[in-house]
Formats: sequence, structure tokens, C-alpha cells
Amino acid sequence: MNAIAHVSPVVATSADPALPPAISLRKLNKYYGAFHALRDVDFEVANSEIVVLCGPSGSGKSSLIRCINHLEQHDSGTVHVNGMELTRKAADVARVRRQLGMVFQGFNLFPHMTVLANCTFALRLALHMTTPQAEGVAREYLAKVNVLDQAEKFPAELSGGQQQRVAIARALCLQPSVMLFDEPTSALDPESVGSVLRIMEDLAATGITMVCVTHEMGFARRVAHRCVFMEKGEIVEQAPTDQFFRKPTSSRLQRFLKQVL
Amino acid sequence: MPLMGFVQQIGTGALVTIQVAVLAYLLALLIGTLFALATLKRRLVVNIAWQTYASIFTGVPSLLVAFLFYYAGSGIISSVLSLAGLNVTIDISPFMAAVAALGMVYGAYLADLIRSAIQNVPPGQFEATKVLLIPRPAAWVLVILPQVLRLALPGMTNMWIVVLKDTALISLIGLKEIMAYAKLASGVTKEPFIYYLLASAFFLGMTALTYFVSQRIEQWTRRGYRPVAVKGPAHAL
Ligand SMILES: Nc1ncnc2c1ncn2[C@@H]1O[C@H](COP(=O)(O)OP(=O)(O)OP(=O)(O)O)[C@@H](O)[C@H]1O
Ligand SMILES: [Mg+2]
Repeated sequence: MNAIAHVSPVVATSADPALPPAISLRKLNKYYGAFHALRDVDFEVANSEIVVLCGPSGSGKSSLIRCINHLEQHDSGTVHVNGMELTRKAADVARVRRQLGMVFQGFNLFPHMTVLANCTFALRLALHMTTPQAEGVAREYLAKVNVLDQAEKFPAELSGGQQQRVAIARALCLQPSVMLFDEPTSALDPESVGSVLRIMEDLAATGITMVCVTHEMGFARRVAHRCVFMEKGEIVEQAPTDQFFRKPTSSRLQRFLKQVL
Repeated sequence: MPLMGFVQQIGTGALVTIQVAVLAYLLALLIGTLFALATLKRRLVVNIAWQTYASIFTGVPSLLVAFLFYYAGSGIISSVLSLAGLNVTIDISPFMAAVAALGMVYGAYLADLIRSAIQNVPPGQFEATKVLLIPRPAAWVLVILPQVLRLALPGMTNMWIVVLKDTALISLIGLKEIMAYAKLASGVTKEPFIYYLLASAFFLGMTALTYFVSQRIEQWTRRGYRPVAVKGPAHAL
């Protein structure tokens, strides 16, 4: 049994042709001023698929992930999440974000709220649950990421790994159908990394769709269905995980893998 | 011995001082917050308005601003109102001039303080409220404001003390506050020391009270934060 039984709406399989892909980016371009950060990126993620994004620093991994939930605005191309187009309209942005959970490298927990309050905050203010309802949901997810015993503490009183697990629980509380991770373990001490990766692994087994930017190649090998390599704002190579590591075709990916493995 | 009648007057004056200072500070907070929010993003027109405002009100001494408001304020307001077709004259009392002058001068200082506090809230906090679908007003009041308060509180406390003490200058436009009565009592009794000492004691007492209260507020805003000395991968600061 998995530690996390995800209660997202009926889990679809990638084989189901009736359902639109979880994420679909077409000819996506993103500029920061004159700097061209994403160049005509086409990227698709099927329902329940686990995708790992990797590439050297500055290759545009964060930009790609942040264009999906509109933390950055794309300049051209289209973003669809579960078939809904992400436009600049506030209603569309909200509808798309409702599908997505996001975990940041720096946790971004609210420092002045307890762990429990961090998790109930959105349930109360965005989903209008009553406090007891919200606390029920929050405790359920805190238990699943093994930090229920820390519920009354403030984030700064927790280890980095515990904080990141709280952040995962906080995102899961809203029952997103897709989880986005941007280097969730890069800010952690080595002992904490494992605890977070284990939670992500459990989560992956629940059928939720996941896009993870990570340098943890062991995690990618064990968990990812597909790996994507980016460089200079472009997707250079992508392949099913096994093939990605065994038979990389581009020389740039071969060089990259040599460095990180 | 100080005469009870004069002491009572000084007490009345002290109340006026507190009223002026509190109202002026609230006005300054309002002006400061509005300018801070308006100038967060670079917008040309807003920035020109802000630069003009700031250079006038931080460049001209607050006493002079008060004099200008007191002697010219009535004329300015009625000419503005007459543009709108209204024909009314509003008398500016020393009290109103004092509140307006101190409020507008210290609003300019508070704007800088509040803006930099907002800018020092980690961007990830804003992003977290967005991905969690928190409505914007709630995000500002419940997530950003407490953190802004924590960062801005020491500066805001100092500013309050400066506003309070600046009211003493404003007696010169004829406001019947604590300095005015202390001066009156000194002149009549030829015992300046005792009455000025009383007035000083009032300001010292208010300062002490301020620090007491601000420490309480600070403890509240610092809940959840470890002492700076303790290392650890806390929330990105
Ligand atoms: N807000 C910004 N303003 C200007 N340039 C930016 C901004 N954000 C990112 N960039 C630039 O865009 C490029 C891609 O950045 P991005 O953060 O997407 O890379 P990344 O692959 O996530 O890198 P890392 O592994 O270091 O996190 C980088 O060269 C970066 O300097
Ligand atoms: Mg990045």
C-alpha cells in the first residue's frame, strides 16, 4: 500500500484518448527583456505521467514550469492544462491554477503561521471550508507526509526536510490533479533529501500527474516515466527513462549525464 | 512647588499633544501606505507625483509646512473648491494645520520605510499565495502585512516618537498643546524650570510607553521566527 492515497478526481490513464493531456505546451516562447529564455518549446504530459526535467543551470527549467502556472507569463505559444487554455484572463488563470499544485525549492511556507495554519489557509480562504473541516483535511495530508506531530509548530522550528514535506502537504490539500516540483530537494541537507524523495515517490504511485525539475538522477531512474533534457531554452532530448539513461542520442545529453552521474 | 492650576493646564495641553500626534501619525500611515503601494512598480506618472511630493515634504521643515498650511491653507482649499463651483470658506485651525503638516511630512518618510519593507518580503511569499489561490486582499492582509510589520516596526516606532516630539514645535502656530502651556506657566510664575521639567517628564513617559507597547507588538510579529543567531535552512530570507 502507498502511504499517500490521493483523492484527486477519477484517475485517468495516459491511454485514455477521451481525455486531453494534463499539460500541453505549444511553440512556447518566454523572454526576460531581450533574453530569450524559452524557444519554441513543445511539451506534453499525459495524465498520471511522471516527468523529470533536467538540464544545466539557466537552461529554462524553472521558466518552463512557472509558465504552466502563470507565475511567469509566456510571450507567445499556448499553454493548456487538462484541456483548459491559460490566457491572461484572471478567471482562466484561476481555473488553471486550481488544477495545479506547486512545490518550490525554498518551501515558501508562511513563517508567521503554524504548520497546521499553513495547510488550512487556502482551504478556508480559497475553498471556503470551515476551520474544523479544513483542519480535518490538513491533518490527513500532514499525516501522509509524516509531519502530523509537528502541526502546532512554526515552520522555522522544523528541519528543512520537514518544512518541504509540509509544503507538499499544503499543496496536496487543494487536491490538484497535477503537481509541479521545482528542485524540491536542492535547498536541503543530505539527510533530509531522502525523506522528501520518499514522499514524492509515494505520491507518484497514486496516479497523480507530476512534473519534477530535479538533479536527483536516482529518483528520476526509479520514478520517472519519461525524462526531458533542456539546454539554452530548448528541449534537446526526451525519452522514456530507461532509454534516456542508457542510450542518450545527443552529445549534449551524453556530456550532461557524464557530469551528473 | 508648581501651582495646581498650571499643572492642570499642562495636562490639558498634553492631551492635545497626544491627539495631534495620533491623528498626524494615522494620516502619515495612510499616506505612506498609499504611496508605498503606488510606487512598488515603476510607473512614470506615479513616480513623478511621488518624487515631487517627497522632495517638498522632506525638504521643507515641518514647522514651515505647518505655517504655510495655517496661513495659506484656507485660501488654497477655497480656491480649489471654487474650481468645483463651490463657494465655501473653511477656517483652518492650528489643530488642523498641525495634523495635516505632520501627517504629510511624515507620510513621505513612512512611504520609503513601508515600501522597502514590502520589497524585503521574499517574492516566494507572494508566489505561494498565488498558487494557493488566496484572494489578493486576503493575501495582502494575512500574509504580506504581518511580515511587513515585522520588518518595518522598529522604523515605525522611531517615526512615531519623532512625530510626537515635533508637536512641540507646532506650538508656534498657536496650538494650545503642552509646550504652549508650559511656556505660559513659566512666564507667569517666573519658575520656568519646574514647568519645562514637567513637560519633559511627559515626553519621557510617552517614549517609555511607546517602547513598552512596541516591544509587545514586536513579540507578536516575531512569532515563528528564530533568533537571528541560530543557523538553519529557515524560510528564504
Ligand atoms: N526574472 C528574470 N529576469 C531576468 N532573467 C531571468 C529571470 N528568471 C530567469 N532568468 C534567466 O532565464 C534563464 C533561465 O532561467 P531558469 O530559472 O528558467 O533556469 P533553470 O534551468 O531553472 O536554472 P537553475 O537550474 O539554475 O534553476 C537564465 O539565464 C536566467 O538568468
Ligand atoms: Mg530553476
